[in-house]
Amino acid sequence: MTTAATEAHPVPTADWVTIPDLYRNPYPIYQKLRAESPVHWVPAVNRYMVTSYQACHVIEQDQERFSADETNSLMKRAMGHSMLRKDDPEHDVDRKSYGNVLRPKAIKEHWNAIFQANSDKYLAQLKAAGSGADFVWDYAAPYAAENLRLIMGFHNATQEDMQRWSQTMIDGTGNYADDPEVWAKSEQSYNEVDDAIDEILPYLRKNPDSSLLSGMTSMPIPLEAIRANMKMTIGGGLNEPRDVLGTTVWALLANPDQLAQVLADEALYARAFEESVRWVAPIGMYPREVRSDTVLEGVQLPAGARLGIVVGAANRDPAVFEDPESFNINREKKPHLAFGGGNHFCAGAWVARASVAQIAMPQVFRELANLRLDPDNSPVDAGWVFRGMTKMPVLWG
Amino acid sequence: MAKISFHHSDGNVDVLDVDPGTSLMRAAVTNGVDGIVGECGGQAMCATCHVYVRPEYLDGLPEIGEDEEEMLECTAGPRDETRSRLGCQITVGADLEQIEVDVPDDQI
Repeated sequence: MTTAATEAHPVPTADWVTIPDLYRNPYPIYQKLRAESPVHWVPAVNRYMVTSYQACHVIEQDQERFSADETNSLMKRAMGHSMLRKDDPEHDVDRKSYGNVLRPKAIKEHWNAIFQANSDKYLAQLKAAGSGADFVWDYAAPYAAENLRLIMGFHNATQEDMQRWSQTMIDGTGNYADDPEVWAKSEQSYNEVDDAIDEILPYLRKNPDSSLLSGMTSMPIPLEAIRANMKMTIGGGLNEPRDVLGTTVWALLANPDQLAQVLADEALYARAFEESVRWVAPIGMYPREVRSDTVLEGVQLPAGARLGIVVGAANRDPAVFEDPESFNINREKKPHLAFGGGNHFCAGAWVARASVAQIAMPQVFRELANLRLDPDNSPVDAGWVFRGMTKMPVLWG
Repeated sequence: MAKISFHHSDGNVDVLDVDPGTSLMRAAVTNGVDGIVGECGGQAMCATCHVYVRPEYLDGLPEIGEDEEEMLECTAGPRDETRSRLGCQITVGADLEQIEVDVPDDQI
């Protein structure tokens, strides 16, 4: 037995944590957990929840001890075995199949013009819906969905299909209650996505473009991996830019002094974006599995332990961030963990930054004069594994 | 062993002895060197392991690849046309037994 192991503490149990409480507002729960121990066994979640910045950071950098290839993964059932649940070297093969499609050069030369056209279109629809419309459902969601549809190359689907596929398969991934109705919807989307891929690949072979699926046609990658990775990307590339857009606009509208700063200097939208994903990480928790008995930040963990890496909590760790519960674009710059880290660092990070912070937000505040929340119809923020605005009526003019 | 020196703007220097084959980014992240983040784990995807290589070591370096070139346009600190590199793309070993770099004030 190593010295570290003899000195390690057993994991405390947090039997007071409930999923409905987490869904409503996880942050007071994370504060309490983090203050007590970097890791807890949480019976309601059936996982060890890792809530300190340092512990989450250590895990992200160490796939030798902490595997992404989780046993009995719900995500594998809902979406197939994608790169998100693989370790290197298998993960690396899949990751390379994405080529340069999501990288800054392709965004600058190709995608930004498409994001702009989509923002024009859906902002016009929001305006047509009139003051009082819902910012998330009338603008952010269709905008994010249409961007993703074109990036992926689903020319045989609609943005509404993308939204339905994304939500139902995400619900499957989170179906801890094993609800058969949730599985039925998730499986229907699974099959629809497979059919859409089968249909579009021959078309893209003849009519290549800049999309992910088009790139796949010339990559040495099995169809099974393409299918799983496309489903993961539908789940991971739509709700997240939608939610960061909603949350950031909400946070700026609730902090008029910071909004005034951003309006005076559009370069600050990038700061607002990074602070927003720190403050409310759109993906708040993701899984890892302990390969063999180990000690993490002084806490003993057994082989096979299923971990929840709670980056939503790590990003508010007072050991790293001063006054962490506040949204503050002027805070000292520190790296947050919202995009994950190490080999699973979010492949869509640059797409999100460009589409949300460079294009959508500046245009929204430029064109919707006196944009404000509706004092008689309050917005709602909710979720913990995924968190964002579920309702956000806005007024302008 | 190979030697890497990270010079900080406040005058402090982190000197690391590392195994051959180790990248500057991995060495810095493993040893907790301030100012090197290495978010993406070495995929030339994030530009948070930006360093300024001291001129006397520039000749021993591999050429800047396409992905690295792209990310060097995305660094938080200003790019130096000759000295800026990504730490994840430089590996010490037989061809480079020693290197000294300056750490930018900003990585994010």
